Amino acid sequence: MLRFALTRILMSVPTLLIVSISVFGLIRLIPGDPASLMLGDLATPASIADLQARLGLDQSVPVQFGIWFGNLLKGDLGQSINSQQAVLPLILQRFWISAQIVLVAVALASLVAVPAGVLAAWKQDTSLDLSLVAVATLLLSIPTFWLGLLLLLFFGLKLEWLPVVGYVSIAENPIAGILYLIMPIMTLFLHEIGVILRMARASTLEVLRLDYITHARAKGLTESAVLWNHAFKNAFGPTWTLIGLVLGNLLGGIAVVETVFTIPGLGRLLVDSIFARDYPVIQGCMLFVAFTYVLVNLVIDLCYPIFDPRVTAQ
Amino acid sequence: MNRRLISAFALLALASPATAQTINVALNADIRSTNPGVNRDDNTDAVVLHMVEGLVGYRENGAVAPLLAEKVAVSPDGLSYTFTLRKGVKFHNGAELTSADVLWNWTRYMDPKTDWRCRSEFDGRIGMKVTGVTAPDAATVVMTLEKPSALFLDTMARTDCAMVAIIHKDSLKPDGSFDKPIGTGPFMLGDWRRGEFVSLKRFDSYVSPPGDKRDGYVGRKNALVPEVKFLSIADGATVKAGLLSGALHVADIPDSDLPEMQKSGSVQVMTAPSATKHALLLQSRDPLLSDVRMRQAIAAALDLDELVAQASNELGKVNNSAIHMASPYYSEVQRQRYNHDPARVKKLLTDAGYKGQTIKLIANKRSTVPSFPVAVVAQAMLQAAGIDSEIEVLEWATQLDRYSKGNYQMMSFSYSARIDPAQSYNQFSGPKDTYPSKAWDSRRADELIEKATITADEGERQKLFDELHKLMLADAPLIFLYNQVDTAVVSKRLQGFAAWVAGKPRLWEVGLAN
Repeated sequence: MLRFALTRILMSVPTLLIVSISVFGLIRLIPGDPASLMLGDLATPASIADLQARLGLDQSVPVQFGIWFGNLLKGDLGQSINSQQAVLPLILQRFWISAQIVLVAVALASLVAVPAGVLAAWKQDTSLDLSLVAVATLLLSIPTFWLGLLLLLFFGLKLEWLPVVGYVSIAENPIAGILYLIMPIMTLFLHEIGVILRMARASTLEVLRLDYITHARAKGLTESAVLWNHAFKNAFGPTWTLIGLVLGNLLGGIAVVETVFTIPGLGRLLVDSIFARDYPVIQGCMLFVAFTYVLVNLVIDLCYPIFDPRVTAQ
Repeated sequence: MNRRLISAFALLALASPATAQTINVALNADIRSTNPGVNRDDNTDAVVLHMVEGLVGYRENGAVAPLLAEKVAVSPDGLSYTFTLRKGVKFHNGAELTSADVLWNWTRYMDPKTDWRCRSEFDGRIGMKVTGVTAPDAATVVMTLEKPSALFLDTMARTDCAMVAIIHKDSLKPDGSFDKPIGTGPFMLGDWRRGEFVSLKRFDSYVSPPGDKRDGYVGRKNALVPEVKFLSIADGATVKAGLLSGALHVADIPDSDLPEMQKSGSVQVMTAPSATKHALLLQSRDPLLSDVRMRQAIAAALDLDELVAQASNELGKVNNSAIHMASPYYSEVQRQRYNHDPARVKKLLTDAGYKGQTIKLIANKRSTVPSFPVAVVAQAMLQAAGIDSEIEVLEWATQLDRYSKGNYQMMSFSYSARIDPAQSYNQFSGPKDTYPSKAWDSRRADELIEKATITADEGERQKLFDELHKLMLADAPLIFLYNQVDTAVVSKRLQGFAAWVAGKPRLWEVGLAN
């Protein structure tokens, strides 16, 4: 398993290299630069050139990339042009905030949606199945920003149960921290229920139609034994993969949810950095997101044998 | 769930003695730094200027008055400015302000390593040059100029220059890098959580400038609450929810949201005209718009009263002048404007040989400026007058890049507030070969502006500005539409808050009722 993990990590190196080169090049192709934005409407060509030189942006793109890549190999992602903070600690600090929302939301969504999906497949074409599918489709169709605003208006403004703006770290004040995280977690939770439920239902339906399920029933096994011991284990693979993809996607950016709920997470950092043309932070974030994606999917792959012994980490 | 139980639980978790007396202000983005006038933007200036002060500052009407100085004396030749410092002024670390601090700060600002935004304003690169700064005694600072300048004090008071803030030496780390602002303002830095909030604490030993009421950045400046918190909230809907729930006490919202806020009984809406100018830029180097008759036709095609009413939600008033309407230089001549005249448009277009070419009008959709609504209404009016136009919506950084390079035909653009008229003209006038971002390239205009920067006599300056205005209307390099009306939505609990011409919130002399 260790060899498998190491091989997968090594295989991700070319991916990360391609990501870093393309992000580095693409962001510089977009018009606008940090020096102009910092100097505003009174900037002169001389003052812009002056600031660009001080920021090292006057050098050719390959030279800039060489310097950045050299520092990257030493574990240094550079310094933010905007806030002048070191990029790696900044990303880690923001990532932790996003991660606690995403991990809790996806875990809760999985706990609810997977059994619900299996149940819907088991009771296919009944009113229960139709209701669950309808709810899943509805949740999937609502954009997260709108869902977030609805929750904000209902629980924040109308009921006044939860704080509307701001953020408090759980480490600083656990109770207040949880109160501030409830609505963002609920938004993602509701949205992801739709995604996971539909996949769990579809993959269970596929398995329930296979011969060995008929054979199990013919043996006289109870429906619950057929469903959970025989169908679920085989049907869970695709859903598990989807959970990994969802997790990878969300860990890389829940900017919309973070913006609505004023959460200072990784997604907002990335979006703000793009608007400010804060190149080192954009590059660092994108590389980190790609690495997280690779890592999450590696963990997902390594977990397969737990559910399906036929799959080995070879 | 029991609503009361949860509410009590939430309050228990959040309440602290300070939160009850904390004023929460929404900012649309986090500040860039706490280093005065260095790594900055509008939000940064607004926050930092609660902590630091300069020798002079703006009054409510935009005039310049002493702040850390008790008085300012100008020599008869206009070359020497003597600042007498107020007695007993203390830094946040308890040290008393002396002329040595002013000298140290000036040396630091003029050091290229500091990266002060306004160094070029004082080192002769743009025009004005400070040739010497001396401190004859502990309470006196003398600054000498190479040539007389009517803009010296105004530039010293500029908010983007951080009022040439006087900070204590301990604001720097031992290696010389900036640490935190130890200023003389009514508030001092509490905590800055990047991406979340900046908290300012009341400075209990603050020595206010004289005055019986707040007056711009001068006048009475006592902090009435123990804490002010500036929260970074990018989403407009969240800001509105925060205001209505009472979690926020002050926020700037787009004009389009005002009717909704006015209807709600829980907040009050305050407006004040600012010196920010909204304009349509016409690129005189464009083959089509290089003909002044085309530019005049565009100006005459716009029903400005209607355009401004639509774009500002009926808050703004048409002002084709570069001078803001609250300025003492806003004379009868400055009120002269373009008139909507379809017949004249037809004639001008025929004379210019216009053949229906499409004019591209660049705009952005930032919520803080009316760039897009202005473009939409202007496009409709131009089409109605027979001028074909197309809107190109760009993200702000891209638009700024196009502006800096002069790469546009028409652009819906906003100029940041400049109080003095000469500063205002300097924003958009100059040779395009050297400064491609300048909208107006006129030798005569540059001569008049140059004169206005060195002439101190107000009557003489008025004549210069009046001639400039007439010249600008005739040349039509850009069409100023109106001055931004700053709209602050504030909690009904907030007492003493007022919007003003500089367009930045001031939280001193502001209290929070229980």
